[in-house]
Amino acid sequence: MKVFYGLYADAESAQRAVDSLNATCAELKFDEKQIVIVSGEPHEGYDFADSQLTSLPYRWAVLGAAIGGTSGYLLTTLTQKAYPIVTGGMPITPPWTNGIIIYELTMLGAILMTLIVLLRGARLPNFKGVITDPEIWMGKILVGVSEPPEGSLPGLEKCLLDAGAMQIKEFVGDSRLPPR
Amino acid sequence: MSHKWGLVVDLDRCTGCEACVVACHAENNVPTAGADQAARGRTMQWIRVERTWEGDFPNPKVRFQPVLCQQCDNAPCEPVCPTYASYHTPEGLNAQVYNRCIGTRFCANACPYTVRSFNFFDPKWEMPLQLQLNPDVSVRSVGVMEKCTFCTQRIKAAEIGAEAEKRELKDGEFTTACAQSCASKALIFGDLNNPDSEVARLASSNRSTKLLGELGTKPNVTYLERGTWQDAKNS
Amino acid sequence: MQKTAEQIEKDLLRPIFTSSAKYKIAVALAACLTLSGVCAFGYQLYNGIGVWGINSPVFWAFDITNFVFWIGISHAGTLISAILRLCNATWRRPVTRCAEAITVFSILIGGLVPLCHIGRPWLAYWMIPYPSERGIWPNFRSPLAWDFFAISTYLTGSTTFLYLPTIPDFAAVRDASKGLRKRIYRVLALGWQGTPRQWQRLEIAMHIMAIAIVPVAVSVHTIVSWDFSMTLVPMWHSTIFGPYFVIGAIFSGIAALILAMAMLRHFLHLEEYLKPLHFNNLGKLLLTMSLLWFYFTFAERLTTWYGNTPSEMDVFWQTIRLHFAPMFWTMVVCNFVIPMPLLAIKRFRTITGTAIASCTIIVGMWIERFLIIVPALDHKFLQYAWGSYKPTWVEDTLMASSFGMMALLYLLFSKFVPMISIWEMKVGLQPHGGGIITTRPAMVKPHGLVLEGPLPTDVPE
Repeated sequence: MKVFYGLYADAESAQRAVDSLNATCAELKFDEKQIVIVSGEPHEGYDFADSQLTSLPYRWAVLGAAIGGTSGYLLTTLTQKAYPIVTGGMPITPPWTNGIIIYELTMLGAILMTLIVLLRGARLPNFKGVITDPEIWMGKILVGVSEPPEGSLPGLEKCLLDAGAMQIKEFVGDSRLPPR
Repeated sequence: MSHKWGLVVDLDRCTGCEACVVACHAENNVPTAGADQAARGRTMQWIRVERTWEGDFPNPKVRFQPVLCQQCDNAPCEPVCPTYASYHTPEGLNAQVYNRCIGTRFCANACPYTVRSFNFFDPKWEMPLQLQLNPDVSVRSVGVMEKCTFCTQRIKAAEIGAEAEKRELKDGEFTTACAQSCASKALIFGDLNNPDSEVARLASSNRSTKLLGELGTKPNVTYLERGTWQDAKNS
Repeated sequence: MQKTAEQIEKDLLRPIFTSSAKYKIAVALAACLTLSGVCAFGYQLYNGIGVWGINSPVFWAFDITNFVFWIGISHAGTLISAILRLCNATWRRPVTRCAEAITVFSILIGGLVPLCHIGRPWLAYWMIPYPSERGIWPNFRSPLAWDFFAISTYLTGSTTFLYLPTIPDFAAVRDASKGLRKRIYRVLALGWQGTPRQWQRLEIAMHIMAIAIVPVAVSVHTIVSWDFSMTLVPMWHSTIFGPYFVIGAIFSGIAALILAMAMLRHFLHLEEYLKPLHFNNLGKLLLTMSLLWFYFTFAERLTTWYGNTPSEMDVFWQTIRLHFAPMFWTMVVCNFVIPMPLLAIKRFRTITGTAIASCTIIVGMWIERFLIIVPALDHKFLQYAWGSYKPTWVEDTLMASSFGMMALLYLLFSKFVPMISIWEMKVGLQPHGGGIITTRPAMVKPHGLVLEGPLPTDVPE
């Protein structure tokens, strides 16, 4: 996997770079999806840092909670009804005490679903196609293009430098394409 | 007709001899704690005789009260056991299933009467005492809770015998070890559901009271007492 | 002086790559203490639980005191990380990971105690609902079954809550190291890269976790308190126990956090990150909790005294005037009398002041748990069955070893994981300071537009 990229000192210039790459992608014959952005911290409020469908994990969490709650209900009520054992004059299926177990399993369902959705959404674990640059951890933002087509490198370099890149580099790594 | 086992303790008859305690130990393989463990508060008495007194020798006013598992209908020890080792049988007994007990001791804390005994160590009987163990009763191991079962082995044996002979159980046909050994007949055991039984008659007497009845545990052990020192002296 | 991202990276990764002799000695001591506990437990398994001091009627003593104590300490992380995160209190950033680590380890230790205190510990797995041909099944009406589910959920949640924001930091360590260390951290980082999608998903996940973990934490300690209040034991059967224990837990949790932070600051030279401001703010929270603790203790005891029920008053006087009075009044001094001036007066609310207050509070809160359990069990309804309790060396060793285990786990954690969240510190350097992500579909502009400046965010400065 080859990535041709520039390092930017702040989010403003990184945004400019992303925008100009988007503008020239048709001309330089690469796809929007090949644009790679990597940073050592989240940059909220910038266009490049946002993507659609931000309400989806919340809905999945609610679904996870529903699954957890249902399994809690089935676990307690069905088993208590199947083997009714009298204890202390209490009802066989007391809703209040079963409710505690149902509540805990509801929360567990929400937590586990959130974890699963995060791992899937962030495409983790992923051990191939990891681009890194030591400068990322020093606060720089990496903006570039993966698998740039032949002959586009000078054009890309101009694009990236115009936006304010501090350095231009090339990264050669594992064969898989990086995650978007 | 299903049974509901109950016990009546006549406090006006109890002399405090503790024969019931000894009989219970013998019948149910209850280990003796020993002087050292007893000093640390670990006596294992399924039935104990509580003494309260006023005044000094030679004329103290003494009152004896045998306290055993009350086999409560609303037993506070039953819902708290996490493994169902303590549950209520259809015949009104509070059963303790030794094999299920993992020793959380929650039931013993929940019991307001403190009638549950815990096996802090593996019980040992020195030779030749283990020869007198009752084969009808299992010996408990370390970490297991135990308590009075109304001699459930005797109940079961009698029920099985009556069923084999295709007849109803008669009142007085069998009894618990403590009631059997009581010289002054202060302990009466029987079927509360049988209107002709001694225990049903006594339990409805005007002398009857329940220990800590205000807690709502609905015990199946009824205490009979007139409640004055004078009566105890005169009777 | 404002730090740069590069400086933050260097400072916070330093403990991972270097360790002093003092550190190694500390780890050795903690390991010895832990080992002594393991040996004591082995002795207990071999001889029977009678080697403890428990008896009839005091069937629970040091064991459950330590259980409630450690589960209580675990509320540090939840409050700091989750609630402050939801409130956008940006000062929480350097503090979150230390707090979350305390949470996970103290739940671990607190969860181990019930496994060790039961009479037949090798059967503890019967608490898990699994299909058994022997008919073993847990009783869901029992507070101990609720404990099992609550603590499992809380442990899973807290571990997730600790691990997720650590992934980018594991990636930082991965990229800064070589050889075996690099391989290990590669696995731990799960191949984290730092694309915008990943960052956004991570922040959303943390937001959901923060919302989810707070009710779980409240429920966990409430359920632990219900181990007591669901019985009829005098002075246990009180409706106040739920909130009382939760407040007590947050109280002891913040105290433990302040102590941990003070030690980290000193030994890892994090003076630039854990500033007097943090101790000041946590000190104010601790003050609030101290006042709340006093309020709940007073309310509980006033209602008991006023009601004047004989069985309850027997227990009441034990703690106020009789056998347990020295412990009770020590507890009041430790939890209220000493911390109040140290935390209320701004001049004393320094790092040293809050650390001293935290020490006394931790002692006081342990005593409080002990005084809830033992005097009530000592003096139940029937006077003939009253008893007394004295711990044995096995219980003392197990308790000391629980502290040793906590120290060991925490020390090891500080060696292998950056104790301060590096990426969150860097977010703090950003012009608008960053904040938690909220769903703003309306604010997302289509690709291709060149922005004039940063998008206005919902987050106040």
